[in-house]
Amino acid sequence: MTLMTAHAGRRRWRRFIDGRVPLIVMIAVPVVYLAVFVGFPIVYNLVMSFQDVNLGNIATWSRPFIGLDNYERLVDDPIFPLVLRNSIIFLVANVVLQFTLGLGLALLFTLRFPAAAYLRGLVLAGWMLPPLVIGALWKWMLASEFGVVNEVMRHLGLMGETVYWLSDPALSLIAVTIANVWFGLPFNMILLSAGLAGIPKDIYEAASLDGARPLQSFRYITLPLLKPTIFAVIALSTIYTMRAFDLLWAMTRGGPVDSSNVFPLWSYILSFQLFEFGPGAAVATMMFVVVFAVALVYVRSIRHEAQS
Amino acid sequence: MTTASASDVALPVYRPRRRRLSGRTRRWLLLAFAVGLVGLYLFPVYWMYVSGFKLSGEIFARPPSFFPREPSLDSFRWIFERENMARYIGNSLLIATSTTALSLCLAMGCAYALSRLRSRWLDAALLFILVSQVLPPALMATPLFVIFRQLDLINTQLAVILAVTTKTLPFAIIILRTTFLQVPRELEDAARVDGCSRLGAFFRVSLPVARTGLLVAGAICFMLAYGEFVYAVSLLSRNALQPATVGLYSFVGAEFADWNNVMAFCAVFVTPVVVMFVLLQRHIVRGLTAGAIK
Repeated sequence: MTLMTAHAGRRRWRRFIDGRVPLIVMIAVPVVYLAVFVGFPIVYNLVMSFQDVNLGNIATWSRPFIGLDNYERLVDDPIFPLVLRNSIIFLVANVVLQFTLGLGLALLFTLRFPAAAYLRGLVLAGWMLPPLVIGALWKWMLASEFGVVNEVMRHLGLMGETVYWLSDPALSLIAVTIANVWFGLPFNMILLSAGLAGIPKDIYEAASLDGARPLQSFRYITLPLLKPTIFAVIALSTIYTMRAFDLLWAMTRGGPVDSSNVFPLWSYILSFQLFEFGPGAAVATMMFVVVFAVALVYVRSIRHEAQS
Repeated sequence: MTTASASDVALPVYRPRRRRLSGRTRRWLLLAFAVGLVGLYLFPVYWMYVSGFKLSGEIFARPPSFFPREPSLDSFRWIFERENMARYIGNSLLIATSTTALSLCLAMGCAYALSRLRSRWLDAALLFILVSQVLPPALMATPLFVIFRQLDLINTQLAVILAVTTKTLPFAIIILRTTFLQVPRELEDAARVDGCSRLGAFFRVSLPVARTGLLVAGAICFMLAYGEFVYAVSLLSRNALQPATVGLYSFVGAEFADWNNVMAFCAVFVTPVVVMFVLLQRHIVRGLTAGAIK
């Protein structure tokens, strides 16, 4: 009798463990984790962006709702147009430069020559370094007095007067863009390489038999077939560029006079330095909406690709 | 390549004579060009190491020396003696290792289950996981600070580990899911015919087969956590607990920096990641491409 119930129990246990329940639990744990530590901050930022929050009441939950005042305060802020302009320039310059340079390198490494795959892998080293270190490194290389970039330019006769990369408001955004392109370029290149590797070689051979020139092959074979990858790469580098913080913080902290200030930096400065938590949360919420929209487009594109 | 397709169509391939360099010269020229470009690209990394080995007199030399005239370990000695380098690195390693372990533990089962089940709800879960990795840490810092204060975890490394895991966990799940999708179900089925439970088959068959994916996911989690700055600087104010990123920041934040020491600090800090990368380079490249596109 006991033997039989034990046997039945074991069989029931076996059926349970082989069923869907353990799998669903394994999915649920990380999802709940992310819902708490990612979902809560989003909701919290959203709520706080409609509230009057200061150092006195940040620890409590009862804070006066003030409608859209925080958003109005942001838009009326004299530096808002500047931050918006910087963010757009930084984003577009990064996405365009990372993509074109990344595609150039990826195409170079598709050509057959010794050690091509190895050299391509080495380029990825730039992406492995912490962004804060990359910021510090470029701050040193772009230093106006003894930085190696200025020294080389002077040596080549490209520079008349000393270039103040980081302290000239007209140049600081260019300086952080150079550093961030250096950082993001390998990731673009490696994804585009994977896309290029997925294009069947015989299409090119057929085209070349038909007399297609390399440029025509690129225009009529490579680009159309690479389209899903291009789409994913541009979406991802858009997301990563909008996330950039450490690198800019190490190089300029948004300065001088906000000339390299972008939205993530502004949100952080508002919350952690000026203790204007409401406006800081409003910037964060606006960023969430934009990043979320780009992420949805990206996810839809890769799902679409996976199905076809 | 050419021979394979030529035999496919069973016709001699007509190759128009090009007025080009012979194949061999062309290959070596391309190699030289590529080495030049890669060298130019990696110059900043070289410059970081070289600057660390220079003495403070030479760092401000004009024109700069591209190889240290008197390589010296003074900067390295200085950062260990005066800047608590060892403690910073220890904290960074502790945070990165714990984050990696936590992320892999949570991601393993989840990625496996997502690769084996299909339903509308699971698609939604995957979408949520994908989207959750894109949020900028600088914007999550304030709310996370509030959560961790409620949990009384401010000024503990556990808070940083839990916060950084929000960034590494989605990455690990996405990479491991594609890995498990490539593990043939037949292997598991065979193990189950032999009397393994589903979980037994997962641990004894699928996981060992997916070990390269685990290695790649672990390496990327480690790299992301090792370089984490925003969460560390906003959740840890006690100096003794801070990782090397925060140490580096307080070091470069000053208007005047002694760059040979800063670069020595950077060099010591990134060397573990660089070594890991060199050892795992091929696997990382492959894992990264599979994870991000599919």
